Amino acid sequence: MMSAARDGFGQLLLAEWTKLRSVRRWVLALAALVVLSVGFSLFASAGSGTDSNKHPDFVVGPNGRPVADEFQFVHQPLTGDGSVVARVVSQQNSHAWAGAGVMIKDGTRSGSRYAALMVTPKHGVRLSANYEVSRAGRAGGVPRWLRLTRTGNSVTGYESTDGATWHKVGTVDMRGLPPTAEVGLFVSSPPKVVVTRSAGTTSVAEGPTTGTATFDSVRVDGAQATGSAVWQSDRVTQPHAQDTLEGVPDFKRRGGPSTGSTEANGVFTVTGSGEIGPRESPDDPVQAALFGILIGLMVIAAMGVLYMTSEFKRGMIRTTFVASPRRGRVLAAKAVVLGTTAFVLGLVATVVSFRLGLPLLRDGGFAPPAYPTPKLTEWPVLRAVVGTAAFVALIAVFALGVGAILRHSAGAITAVLALVILPAFVAIALPTTGALWLMRLTPAGGFAIQRAKPPSNMLAEAWSAIDPWAGLGVVFAYAVVALALAAWLLRRRDA
Amino acid sequence: MHAEWTKLRSVPSSAWLVLAAVAFTVALGAVVTASTNTRECPTPSTCVHDLAKVSLTGVRVGQVAIVVLAVLVMTNEYATRLIQTTLTAEPRRLVVLATKAVVVVTATMAAGALGVAGSLLAARGMLPGNGFTAANGYAVLSLADEPTRRAAIGTVLYLGLVALLSLGVATIVRDTAGAITTVLAALFAFPMLAMFVSDPRWHTRIEKYAPMDAGLAIQATRGLRGLPIGPWQGLGVLAAYAGAAVLVGAVLFRLRDA
Repeated sequence: MMSAARDGFGQLLLAEWTKLRSVRRWVLALAALVVLSVGFSLFASAGSGTDSNKHPDFVVGPNGRPVADEFQFVHQPLTGDGSVVARVVSQQNSHAWAGAGVMIKDGTRSGSRYAALMVTPKHGVRLSANYEVSRAGRAGGVPRWLRLTRTGNSVTGYESTDGATWHKVGTVDMRGLPPTAEVGLFVSSPPKVVVTRSAGTTSVAEGPTTGTATFDSVRVDGAQATGSAVWQSDRVTQPHAQDTLEGVPDFKRRGGPSTGSTEANGVFTVTGSGEIGPRESPDDPVQAALFGILIGLMVIAAMGVLYMTSEFKRGMIRTTFVASPRRGRVLAAKAVVLGTTAFVLGLVATVVSFRLGLPLLRDGGFAPPAYPTPKLTEWPVLRAVVGTAAFVALIAVFALGVGAILRHSAGAITAVLALVILPAFVAIALPTTGALWLMRLTPAGGFAIQRAKPPSNMLAEAWSAIDPWAGLGVVFAYAVVALALAAWLLRRRDA
Repeated sequence: MHAEWTKLRSVPSSAWLVLAAVAFTVALGAVVTASTNTRECPTPSTCVHDLAKVSLTGVRVGQVAIVVLAVLVMTNEYATRLIQTTLTAEPRRLVVLATKAVVVVTATMAAGALGVAGSLLAARGMLPGNGFTAANGYAVLSLADEPTRRAAIGTVLYLGLVALLSLGVATIVRDTAGAITTVLAALFAFPMLAMFVSDPRWHTRIEKYAPMDAGLAIQATRGLRGLPIGPWQGLGVLAAYAGAAVLVGAVLFRLRDA
């Protein structure tokens, strides 16, 4: 019985596949999907340019990627194994991610290797290292004891509320850190970013913040520690792109924010400004390379609708249903055939677009160090390339469902295209929160899967502000609901 | 002429589409206008918003209904084989195409006029409440103002040209799905591309030559000097596309069998 049912579905699949490939117009449309997608992607790639490498606002980290590295550092050298301990007594809430804590770093050059254990005003205790690792400790703020211990090539962070019971936050691999490193106290306070979107324009303003923290019970222990405790205070600093800061009222960076440190009776008061962490531009060359799939989406949306409605128009659906009376299975077979075809062709289009588009983008300025070359083997890039193909497949299935629900080509195609494309245009005219919700509620959010970089609300395209999987999830939900509704209606209505 | 008008009028979808064009234009225009506020500007009197353009944002969505309407006028006849009857009754094909064009453009411009009037009225009501008052140095939106009048009339003409473009493409493609997809892609793909492309030269090219971007230059009422293309020249670019589509459509319509 089971195998008979499976054979039945196999035959249905074969029948639907034959229908798809024997209509010349559809085969042409499918070929056009690939060609137009690749062509338009190349168009987008050739037209994209940036001068980030000429006006850098970053330094290059040990991983070769652009990073931010700016803070106030009160330090002394430590050779070999050892540890640094301090109690953060107070911390100003200058930014939710402002940091006050202990650090071990390869010198005082901005962009060098480091491990830091800090307390933040809103995000508890964090252990961060080499601009990549950011591990959460327990929640809560000051006062807090913090300790970093170096053992060979690894550094372990511990924290405590009373200085007696210590909790391990984590251990980080610090290969590449020289035998003699600088250890001490630091204070950072990231810039405040204000994004406003209205009437079709997105404006981004960034202004520095400055935070102060006090420390006591500061101690450095080590096999070869000098013990003489000569502390030096330095501002670790990086270049800034001045143009992004114009128009910010409290802008003080040209003169430099007043930072520094004082010590009295073992109590250190440190004032710092700046951010430590990855600083990649939100502009995403991978997304630009895949942009042309938009045209493919329009083609597949029309085809998905027609794959269903043309059967109604010619009365073919009655023959189909006589041959296979279980209507839900016919719909399922159509969805499988069309979805698979769309996914495979979508994947061909995205891979070719990616391969051919990247060199053009590199010529346009999307080159290292500001834009490390994306590789297909990296997960976010692979996610974008394969996920975009899945986006194409889901839109095809969604269109099929809408076609079965409306049974009218013009209406169904317009409905699908309007839902996929128009929200992006409405969103750029709306304030940020409105745009965000529009992306969470319409299939236009699916464009987020084309991004290989983390979500950012600093770009014109509204979908860049939502998580890629959330965006694709919305499309998935639309496809499932449309199919379910279509199956129910097919069973209820006469053909 | 009368026959074409009856055909358009008697299909229920036409009325819905015209209604949708007006409703979407006014509704979206109102939403965007409502979200435009002097609070976002450095000071209440230094906003650089092009208020007429902001209040007419809705046509970007409303035009979709017009595209469908104009495409269906042609392709519906092919889908139902009515075209053979039509051409038997009126064998001069160019007359058939011209009549269709006149009817659909008239209906579109009527809808466009309603949509534009509704949008401007809504904006007039809302903008002072959002800080765009005479006290802050903003004049009330009014058709007595030459640039605003140009934007209003131009937007109606824009919709008429979009209808012509759609009719032309529909005559060439003779298929509802293909024609709608082609026109929507031609209109929306380029502005979407403009969201990404960072190179200013390409931005200028898109604003100058893409049908929707160039055509909507007609809505600009301030900062004209900074625009890559003037308002009327922009509308002219769209008119060239529409004219070309109708011309090719007309030639093919004459040469091909129905």
